[in-house]
Formats: sequence, structure tokens, C-alpha cells
Amino acid sequence: MGDAVLGDSIVIIVVAGLVATACGLLGPFLVLRRIALLSDAVSHAVLPGIVAVWLVWQTRAPLPVVVGAAAFAVLCVLGIDALRASGLMASDAAIALVFPALFSLGVLGVTRFADGIHLDLDSTIYGEIAFVPFDAIDLGGGVGVARAGVTLAVVVVLNLLLVTLLWKELKATTFDPAFGATVRLRPQLLSRLLLVAVAVTAVSAFEAVGAILVVTMLIVPAATAYLLTDRLVVMVALAVGVGWVGAIAGHSLAIAYDSSIAGAMGLVCAACFVLALLLSPKHGLLTRRLRRRAGVASAP
Amino acid sequence: MFPLAALPYTDTVVVLGALVLGLTSGVLGTFAVLRQRSLVGDAVAHSTLPGVCVAFLVAGVKDVPGLLVGAAVAGLVAALLMVGIERTGRIKPDTAIGVVLSGFFSLGVVLLTHIASTADADQAGLENYLFGQAAGLLASDVVVMAVLGGVALLVVGALRRALTTTLFDSSYAGSIGLPVRALEVLMTGLLVVAVVIGVRVVGAILMVAMLVVPTVVARQLADRFTYVLPLAGVVGAVVGITGSLLATRAALPTGPVIVLVGFSIAVAAVLLAPGRGVLWRASRLANRRRRVLRDAVLVSPGAPMRSVGDRMARASLRRSGLLDDHGLTPAGHRAADELADRRALWSAWLEHGALVDLPDAREPDPTDLRGSLGDDAVAQLRLLSAGGRRG
Repeated sequence: MGDAVLGDSIVIIVVAGLVATACGLLGPFLVLRRIALLSDAVSHAVLPGIVAVWLVWQTRAPLPVVVGAAAFAVLCVLGIDALRASGLMASDAAIALVFPALFSLGVLGVTRFADGIHLDLDSTIYGEIAFVPFDAIDLGGGVGVARAGVTLAVVVVLNLLLVTLLWKELKATTFDPAFGATVRLRPQLLSRLLLVAVAVTAVSAFEAVGAILVVTMLIVPAATAYLLTDRLVVMVALAVGVGWVGAIAGHSLAIAYDSSIAGAMGLVCAACFVLALLLSPKHGLLTRRLRRRAGVASAP
Repeated sequence: MFPLAALPYTDTVVVLGALVLGLTSGVLGTFAVLRQRSLVGDAVAHSTLPGVCVAFLVAGVKDVPGLLVGAAVAGLVAALLMVGIERTGRIKPDTAIGVVLSGFFSLGVVLLTHIASTADADQAGLENYLFGQAAGLLASDVVVMAVLGGVALLVVGALRRALTTTLFDSSYAGSIGLPVRALEVLMTGLLVVAVVIGVRVVGAILMVAMLVVPTVVARQLADRFTYVLPLAGVVGAVVGITGSLLATRAALPTGPVIVLVGFSIAVAAVLLAPGRGVLWRASRLANRRRRVLRDAVLVSPGAPMRSVGDRMARASLRRSGLLDDHGLTPAGHRAADELADRRALWSAWLEHGALVDLPDAREPDPTDLRGSLGDDAVAQLRLLSAGGRRG
């Protein structure tokens, strides 16, 4: 029995760590491009996809649901991109226009056509990481592996490929899209590719760990890393690291206090951010204050 | 008020509530949207969850005023944290919003599980606070909303100039002695008021739409902030009334219908707004392209045809009788001469424009120099260019 609980804990931590890795690879680019809140938008915009899959095929099986959700996530990010590209509004206003509309469409679908069935908001917005170990598949050899773990491992590999193969291009267009355009790096295409990667990552992770943890893992570790370094490659590595710290420490906190695992992981990430905000060697509030005081003291 | 008389009492309350909410959030949202912090409302709305939980833990019952105070306090703390994080300089506004949103919402989720494991059954539905329930709106709720919203709008009206200056140029506002930080906190606080009134009625996501849609529409229709601000209020009210009436007619949930009505209006404004709309700009661009091609044919009618556009330009010239099988018609020659004269005038303006004596400041229009500068200026230009050639 003890072994089973330990095994479950390890599965949960590994799945959360995979989410942290997938998100940590993309999060820094979102933060640097000032579209961090896209993750929040995607997390709400997938609802109509899930409802549509239910209405058309009457199923809640994982694969069709993920495909439906991904379709609407991609629709959401491309819609936002189109509105932003019109030059008539800033990207934040474009985000705030598109995702409430898609979410409302989903809510209308639920109340109008899918009333009474078990398709509540909780299952999409607060997917529960504690149930991950119970949904195992057989990969051959008789060893059961958590399905979410397999999906997320694939997503991690895809994100890793995207980021390593297009590292130079992504870096250039993130910091200076105009330069990127002059050397024919096609900033708009790269930006769409990144957005689609975020949408796919978010959708495959929601189903396992719930939206709030995905949003947190995309934004907070990257923001923490941004406070600690000025180099992009270090920032990505730190973001992944902070995500793992959140996954491991959050899990043990949640077990100790018997609370929501996703919530505790999010809180640990937020705590890391606060620490970095105060104590970062270069940008920390306290360190800057101390340095200023030392500077004043050493001055004649 | 007359059409409302035909509605049942509960529907009237909902429509009035949507009207008050649309008006208030339309005006207050303008400040957030124009500072590119549209999603502050989203973060504040989600941040009310831990406040609601703590209020429940302290009070032990689900009484509405207590929860409202808890929500307001948590929303205000979250909003001030966002401003504070942003002010450290390193973290950009959208990241600050995202960090506060996820931190507070995580806390809310942890508190919810804590309450669920310790408290009695009374806690059920606490998380529904975030989703809102317009159908359950009471007349007293609408009165509270109207009073709070009215006070907020009065504050905006009284401090209109100071708020505008801070919004568009905060360093200038500081240099003329305005209390910039206090005004920024005030703007944020007003937004929190709007969100806290709205969340319980229409839910967090709808609140985002109510804050952003009116400003986007108003900005499409007007260029001056003094018009955008009241216009946003009007648009918000119209969206609220239309959406809630449609929802009651079709027996659908109010919130999502209002959002979809707002979204449709916003998309229509983005596409069709006079002068600024996407379609409007596209047609202007197409007109200009057509004219360039037509002028090219007029200048050299014998040139070989290169593109579809070229072919179409020739067809259009043929239709207006400027071109036939043998080349330019007499009318066509006149048009070509006119074009050459216009171009010569424009180069003369570029060369000697500084020497032309104009009675007032005028913007020269390359396509119609005579119309934009006046006959006198054109006569001076002809003289100057003739003199320039002679000398």
C-alpha cells in the first residue's frame, strides 16, 4: 500500500514536472513578447471545442476532446493575432475581446444543448492532477504508464525540437521583430508557430492538470527567471527549474496540509517569484536598496 | 422606460442591472484599455476568490455583504500588487497581471479545498461566485450597483482633466504637480469597484468583455478622448440592454449573450468604422492602387500590358471614353495633360514650396494641390518654377 502511494506521488510529480518543462520552454518567449496572458485566454477558449465534440459525437473520450479543444485554441490565438495585426488595438485588448466570446459560446452550448450531462466547467477549468495515476495505458511489456505522462512527454519533445531548431530565429524575432523581418526570418510566421505551440501545450496539459496550473506554469516561472538573468538560454533553463521546484515542493506541501495539489504548486511558484523580486542579485528590490545604501556609505 | 413596461418584473431588474453595469464598466474600462492593461479586470476578478474564501472562513456563513467586502479587499490588494510589481521596472504589465492572477487564484483554490474539507455543507457553491448569476439579481442589488457606479462616474467626471493627463503623459502630469501615483491608484481602485460590482452579477469572464468592448468600439468611432470616454459608457449601456433583452427573449443565460452581442458589435466596428475600419482602409488602398495604374496608362498609353491590374485600368479608361483602339482619345489627351500639369505642380511645390507666401498653415495634398493650397499659392508656384527654369 505504501509503495502504491509512493508510486502515485512520483507519477504526479513527474507529470507536473513535464508540464513545467513544456511550459518553461515556451513561457520565456511569451513573457518577453509581452503576451503572457495568452495562456489565460487559451485556457478559457477551449470550452466551445469540448462542447462541440460532445454535441457532435456524444463522447468525452480524451482524443476527440483534445482535438476539439486544440482546434478552438488555435482559432483563438489566430483570431487574436489577426486583430492585433490590424493595428487598431493593442494585443492585450485583442486577447480580451476574443477569449470571452469563445468562452461564452461554450457556456451557451453547455446550458442550451448539453444540460444535465456531466460536462461541468470544473472538468475543463480545474482538471484534477490527483487523478492522473488512475488513468494508465499499457505501452507493452505489461507496464502501465500514466496516459497524461505519455502525452506530455510527446509535447515536451515537440517543444524542445521547436525551441532548439528555431532558437536563433525565435530569439531574433522576440527581441527585434523589425530586424528579424529585414533578414527574412518571417516574424509573423514564427509568432504564429509559437502561438500554436502554446495552444497545443496548454490543451494537452489542461486535460491532465487543470487550467490554472498551466497558466501559472507558463507565466510565473518565466517571470521569476526573467528577474534572475539577462541571458535567454539561462532564462529558459531557470524557468524549467523553477517549474520543477514548484512541482516537487508544491506536491509535498499539498500532501502535508491535505489541500489542492495544483493550487499548492501554483503557490510555490508564486513564492519563488516573490523571493526573486526581493532578492535577485541584479534586479531584486532589497538587493538594489542595499546596494544603494552601500553606495551612499562608501561615498565620501 | 416604455418598452421595459412590457417585461416581467424580474427581467426588468436584469435589464436595468445590465444597463448600470455596462455604463459603469464602459467608462471605467477606458482607463485600463488605453493604458494597455485590458486584462487587469480579469486578474482582479479572479483575485476576488481568496477574498471570498477568507470572508467565509471569518464570518462562517455565506452572507452577501461580507463576501462582497472580502472580494473588494482581495481585489484591491491584487490590483495594488500589480501596480507595485510593474513599478519595480523589470516586469512588464502583462506579466505582472499574469503573476498576480495565477498567485491569487492558486491561493483561492487551496483555500477552497481547505474549506471543503473542514466546513459544513454551507460552503457549497462558493466557487460559483466567479461565474455570476444575472438571473438571481435583486432590485436591491441594482440599487447598490447604481449608487457605487454613480459615485465612481462622479469621481471620473470631477477629476476628468487630471486623469486624462496622467493617462496619456504621466511624466508631464508629474512635472505640473499632479499627484501621479495617487491618481494611478485611484484609476485602479475605480476599476476594482466596477469589477467587484460586476463579478457577482455576470461572472469574471463577462466582466473582461464589459470592460474592453465599449472602449474598442468607442475608439473606432472617435479620435478624441473627450468623446471616447462618454461614448464608451453609451456603448456599454447599449450592449448591456441589447444582450439582456435578447437573453430574456430567447430564454438563454444573460452573461454569455451579452458577451456575444458585445463581441459582434466590436467586430463590426473594427471592420466598418468610418475612416478607421479594416474594410474602409482596404477600399481606400484599392482606390489608390487603381488610380496609380490608370495614371500610368495615361502617361504612356503605348506601353505593353504587364498585369491584370493594367488590363483593368485600360478597360476602365475605355469605358470613360479616354482610350480607344488607336490610343488616347482627345478627352484622354486632355486628361493626360491635366495629370502632367498636376505632377509638375507637385514637383514645383517640393522644390519651391518654402518660398510660397501662404496666409495660414495649410496641408498640401499631392493629388489636389490647387484645392488644398488655393489658386493664389498655385499662381505663385507657377511663377517660381518658371523663374527657376529661366535662372
